Amino acid sequence: MKLRKLIVATIGAFAVAAPVVAQDFIAGLPREETLIIQGPAAQNADWFNLWAPGGGANPNGNQQLSADTLWFINPEGSGDTAWQNALAAARPEYNEDFTQMTVTLKDGIFWSDGEPFTAEDVVYTVETQIAHPGMNWSAPFTINVDSVEAPDDHTVVFNLKAPNSRFHTLFTVRWNAAWIMPEHVFSAVEDPLTYSFNPPVSLSAYEMENYDANGQWAIWKLRDDWERTSIGMTLDEAPDVKYVVYRTAGNPDARVIEQLNHNLDVINDIAPEGMFTIARDAAENTAQWLPGFPFAHPDPTLPSVILNNQLPELSDPKVRWALALLIDIRAVSMGSYRGAANIAALAVPPTGTSIPDYYEPMQEWLMNYELDTGESVIKPYNPDIADQIASLVTPQWGDTIPEDPDLRKRMFGFGWWQQNADAAAELLRSAGFTQNGNGWTTPDGEPFEMRLQVEGDNIPTLARAGTIIAQQWSMAGIPTEVVVAGPTHWQRIDVGDYDAAIAWTVETWGGHPDLSFFLESYHSDFLRPIGETQPPRNMQRWEHPELDRIVEANRMVGFDAPEVIELGQDLLKLAVDEMPMIPLMAYNKFAPFDTTYWTGFPSIENPYSASGPFWSNIRYMVVELEKNGND
Amino acid sequence: MSSLTAYILKRLAQFVFVIFTGVTLAFLITNLSPVDPVEQSLTQLTSFGASDPRAVEMMRESLTELYGLQGNLLEQYLNFWGRVLHADFGPSLSAFPTPVTTLIANAAPWTIGLLLTSILITFVLGNLIGALAGYFRNSKLLKLLGIAIMTINPVPHYFIGLILLIVLGYVFPIFPISGGARMNMESGLNWAYIQSVLYHGFLPAFSLVLAGLGGWFIGMRSLVSNVVTDDYVIYAELAGVKRRKIFSQYVARNAMLPQLTGLAMQLGQIFGGTVIVEFLFNYPGMGRLLIQGIYRGDYSLVLGVTTISIFAVAVAVLLIDILYPLIDPRVKLG
Repeated sequence: MKLRKLIVATIGAFAVAAPVVAQDFIAGLPREETLIIQGPAAQNADWFNLWAPGGGANPNGNQQLSADTLWFINPEGSGDTAWQNALAAARPEYNEDFTQMTVTLKDGIFWSDGEPFTAEDVVYTVETQIAHPGMNWSAPFTINVDSVEAPDDHTVVFNLKAPNSRFHTLFTVRWNAAWIMPEHVFSAVEDPLTYSFNPPVSLSAYEMENYDANGQWAIWKLRDDWERTSIGMTLDEAPDVKYVVYRTAGNPDARVIEQLNHNLDVINDIAPEGMFTIARDAAENTAQWLPGFPFAHPDPTLPSVILNNQLPELSDPKVRWALALLIDIRAVSMGSYRGAANIAALAVPPTGTSIPDYYEPMQEWLMNYELDTGESVIKPYNPDIADQIASLVTPQWGDTIPEDPDLRKRMFGFGWWQQNADAAAELLRSAGFTQNGNGWTTPDGEPFEMRLQVEGDNIPTLARAGTIIAQQWSMAGIPTEVVVAGPTHWQRIDVGDYDAAIAWTVETWGGHPDLSFFLESYHSDFLRPIGETQPPRNMQRWEHPELDRIVEANRMVGFDAPEVIELGQDLLKLAVDEMPMIPLMAYNKFAPFDTTYWTGFPSIENPYSASGPFWSNIRYMVVELEKNGND
Repeated sequence: MSSLTAYILKRLAQFVFVIFTGVTLAFLITNLSPVDPVEQSLTQLTSFGASDPRAVEMMRESLTELYGLQGNLLEQYLNFWGRVLHADFGPSLSAFPTPVTTLIANAAPWTIGLLLTSILITFVLGNLIGALAGYFRNSKLLKLLGIAIMTINPVPHYFIGLILLIVLGYVFPIFPISGGARMNMESGLNWAYIQSVLYHGFLPAFSLVLAGLGGWFIGMRSLVSNVVTDDYVIYAELAGVKRRKIFSQYVARNAMLPQLTGLAMQLGQIFGGTVIVEFLFNYPGMGRLLIQGIYRGDYSLVLGVTTISIFAVAVAVLLIDILYPLIDPRVKLG
């Protein structure tokens, strides 16, 4: 009898709690006006000061929807469609020797508290950060800026300490850039470094509505005066999206479930299996970058086998080439991404404008490229490998794999190096290595063994790629241990505590051919010995006189000058000759969209915006979405 | 000096020693970690934009100074103790300059609420069923319950959580699978919010209860099985005392003592959070905070959480030691 009472009481308690189920998903917000985006947990959710170390809660919409700066580059665009004037009315104007940059600002832009945005805000941003070492853009401004002045409300003149044709990139967002500070707010506080900027004053089309102190969610609301913002004044009518919710959604499996439950419109970085599940179970209300397999959106970063060039056994390009020729990229693609990889033979990711600027024009050069192994001359490039990968996945994905070779190249990449164990052995012998039974001995008489470092579960696709490559090297007589470094991955790479690592050392603008995003740091001036921290990029510690020439030449030409592409191609050819790292593929991200409430998401057919939740370019997507009529 | 005073003083000395050793070890382990908070911040800053190597060098120097990481290990250790004694763990390095105490204060109520509730439920249910199963050994219902609990017991708790998440969050989407409460609600002691917190906490709590039940059940059943063969129980049965009274007053009460020790220990560990369950259900508690701190090399945060945990466990042990002679007269004071 008592047991029955207990059961009845339990059901009663559940009945009391159950009404919550029926209530709207987010209290007080109409779902049909709300876009829900996956965000990370903001550790210091009360903090909105983007200019202090760590940037505070920047991945929760603060940077993406509320802050603004002079220009954006759409990483998916090309040519004129890639460049977006934001607070600036036009591109930067440099004087002849690149020691002065003049910017004209748009008129009619206001902060969300009603104050007008003027050139004084830009001047204040630069001067304040220079005056406060430790602020995020303090160091680059200190190095570059001699003085900054505002001759009128809509003009800013930067006088530089030395010629710098890339100074404007400090204010050019691909992901992040120097956001403009509200002078009227910060000038009234004692210390800009310790001011929380809460509530934030917005310069863009959305403003803070509410947030969770535990960093689980943040809600942004369309400003009533959205037309008085840089993005708003480009629109013909008010955006349909009235509220944007950034919310955490837990592990990748939970993200998939939340999207299948229609509780997350935009998700990011799920495993291939999760993407395939969504494509199978929710095809009618899901959109993604590519309409069918491999679905993924390629980021303008380049996962590679980064080789530690300063290690004696890896200092010879012949050895690095031998390691490349021992890789069967088809197995790597299938094992890491289940075939959904966009392979890359060149040292730039096959995304955005790199395809017309580099991959397409360099195909002939790649096909004719000859490699002298010391015993023979081979043509290592195989332009058919992407097709072979397509054939491998056709049994599973059938008609969704297109026959059009151009489309296949966009899906699976162009070619790659043909696996060639004989040529690899010739190269090793030519480099002074000796074959010893099934293994190899270095010129110093040591066994040739490798450690291949991967980050681990955080990026499962790349961890899997590392495991497969380690197997392939081991099978070729180079015993390779996979080292899972977890949170120490990048720091170990930074100080050179690795032999080889799966990571990226090349990032590009995506929507612009200029390679300064990573190239400047490749100069030998910045090279550090093993044990000392290498500045970001050039983690392979590659040094070459021709490399220095290219970097120096790139500094002296304009951002949009045609020479930029020529220098870029010179660099890519040198990187093929030298093989300082072995490019593998674009960093494909699986980021499906739920179309139950919203349509018009960017895609390969309409690449008007970046789509990743944390990319600041996502603001261009948010204002373009249209209601799907469901509530 | 009375034996009671000597006993308490000895335990207090142990308490101080445990805290000193534990906190010192925690300091050394975190500070010797290869994860450098300055480099982590630099990586975050430079990952997302073009970066001038000269600027990176300048930023490194500025951040080292700003984070207060100059000085040798001994100086930092002494500074750390100075702050701990003032209940101040300094600013978080990954959420600079928010104080670590603020982050902990935000996260602690969630973990305490979740773990306190689930531990107490698990303790009561596990011990009750275990005691009943140990005493009423012929009951079919209890045998079935025992089999069910023993079947679940070896399953790792993250796996139980994952199954609950899929079954009750996706296949039958009855419960939310993420977060501590519904978004955009006014938090506070109002029924709608409490209801939402309970609702969101159900799956993580349920997974903890299912995972923890077996331990208490097995322990209690075993203890009761021993107690029922004691002379005083047999004597009571022979004397015709009601079985219900024997169970509650003689058997369960005596068998409970070691279980109370376990309960106190578990309660002491609450401040460490439950990392996997909080991760799995995206629960905003101490476990998730700790993991974030470890991943980002935030010494201050990791030390803050571990120091509080060390204090809590040490206090729990001290309380058990002091209270045990009062509960169980068989414990000697000498």
